[in-house]
Amino acid sequence: MWFSVCVSLILSDMSCSVLDEQQFRQGCQLLLQRSDQLGDGWSWEAVQGSEEGYLRKTARRSVPSDWGPLHDQEGFSFHPQTLCDSTGHEKEEQDPAASTGSDFLSAEEQDDGSYTVTDSSSRVVQYEYHILFSCSYGAPVLYFRAFTLEGKSLALEEMWSTIHPNYRLRLQNCPLSAISQQEHPLLGQPFFFLHPCRTEEFMGLVLQAVQDQGRPVNYVLSWLSVVGPVVGLDVPLQYCTPLHSAVSLNSTKPD
Amino acid sequence: MADDKDVLRDVWFGRIPTCFTLNPDEVTEREAEAYYLLLPRVSYLPVVTDKVKKHFLKVMRPEDVEEMWFEYEGTPLKWHYPIGVLFDLHASNTVLPWNITVHFKNFPDQDLLHCPSNSIVEAHFMSSIKEADSLKHKSQVVNDMQKKDHKQLWMGLQNDKFDQFWAMNRKLMEYPTEDGGFRYIPFRIYQTLSDRPFIQKLFRPVSPDCNAHTLGDLLKEMYPDALTNDGEQKRYQVLIHGIEPLLETPLQWLSEHLSHPDNFLHICVVPVPTD
Repeated sequence: MWFSVCVSLILSDMSCSVLDEQQFRQGCQLLLQRSDQLGDGWSWEAVQGSEEGYLRKTARRSVPSDWGPLHDQEGFSFHPQTLCDSTGHEKEEQDPAASTGSDFLSAEEQDDGSYTVTDSSSRVVQYEYHILFSCSYGAPVLYFRAFTLEGKSLALEEMWSTIHPNYRLRLQNCPLSAISQQEHPLLGQPFFFLHPCRTEEFMGLVLQAVQDQGRPVNYVLSWLSVVGPVVGLDVPLQYCTPLHSAVSLNSTKPD
Repeated sequence: MADDKDVLRDVWFGRIPTCFTLNPDEVTEREAEAYYLLLPRVSYLPVVTDKVKKHFLKVMRPEDVEEMWFEYEGTPLKWHYPIGVLFDLHASNTVLPWNITVHFKNFPDQDLLHCPSNSIVEAHFMSSIKEADSLKHKSQVVNDMQKKDHKQLWMGLQNDKFDQFWAMNRKLMEYPTEDGGFRYIPFRIYQTLSDRPFIQKLFRPVSPDCNAHTLGDLLKEMYPDALTNDGEQKRYQVLIHGIEPLLETPLQWLSEHLSHPDNFLHICVVPVPTD
């Protein structure tokens, strides 16, 4: 059943990298089904019995303490360059996770051969992620907040220190696509969010690349795999495998 | 039309007489007097309350001062909403001046965004302008502007310079004549009795058969409870800048003339006072 939904996503006009609300919900449902199979923890929160809603997930993450504020972030204040120039180009795409040399987590081998992350070198942060739809931008938007294990919410500076330094540098170059505080449009509470104004731009590139290969695409999943890791949200590769089997099934099964 | 330009000025120069009182639980070295100020409807609390802060800081010790925040009758006031919206939503039918309580401790970070500096307000303001243009023009007009043009919009608002602001803002109010209006109308409908902070959805100013949509059409689609049916008693007021425009008013006209400087039409639906 779900792959016929997938087919409708493929056939709908994905040449335009803007999403409508129905496509968003379809993408979310696909993601949700796969999440259920993988036990990845996403849930759909509906708005008062309407079709409107959002995806939600909580996760715990261990963050190295030595990521602290970057030295050049002293007196970090938000300097909005208002908007990115229409002529401005993103820097050369690099995989920020492919850091040379330094490890993400400092781990110590224990006597019994297991590894633990030492308390002094990391802290545990509880995250809550929401994926909402922005009708203004025709794109999904990631809202999130974080708490210490004692339930104290993280402020913006503390949130920055949980972002991998390589991502932080790139985000700082374009403040409007960086992390800022925003009112959650459905709950009214302060959350952090990644500004969606650049989504159409990078999704255009992603969709083009995928369509050149003739592969089906779940917009929401592709988008999440780009923005999620920036804020510590992993999207396991196993999310993608059913799509491939759907393509091979499609050739033998009628609609 | 000359009349229409007057509307722009009336909107820009709208003021709310306000009385700021220090929260009685704050620790002071001597009694704090109330501070009176005329607040611009179209601006934001952090931008226009420097004098309020200075006034109360005079009677406090630095160690007792944290981030300033405002509250009205127990409700923390969201600084990222235009001042006029806050007033219409919370205090529209009360006797003036508007009585706001000032706090320097116990910042309610589950309710309010932090505002460490005016550059945060600027970021929110520009973010709204960009979102409005995404709806009106697929962001084409705002993206064609230069950084200094964006700065002019913000400085015009911050320094209360109507001409400086509108010299740039008029570009955001243009549209191809053949379209009859913007692509979609940037609006937010606020209600008092809901968890949801506002309603914001896609809505066109012109119907497929080229009829101009009205304020009534918008409400019928987005919040029908706000409308009064025949024979019923009126339960709600629909307020924009403190007034109740006729429901027959074309939405496109409202968007061009009664938007806030952030280019959004902020519409407050409040219960009719029962006195």
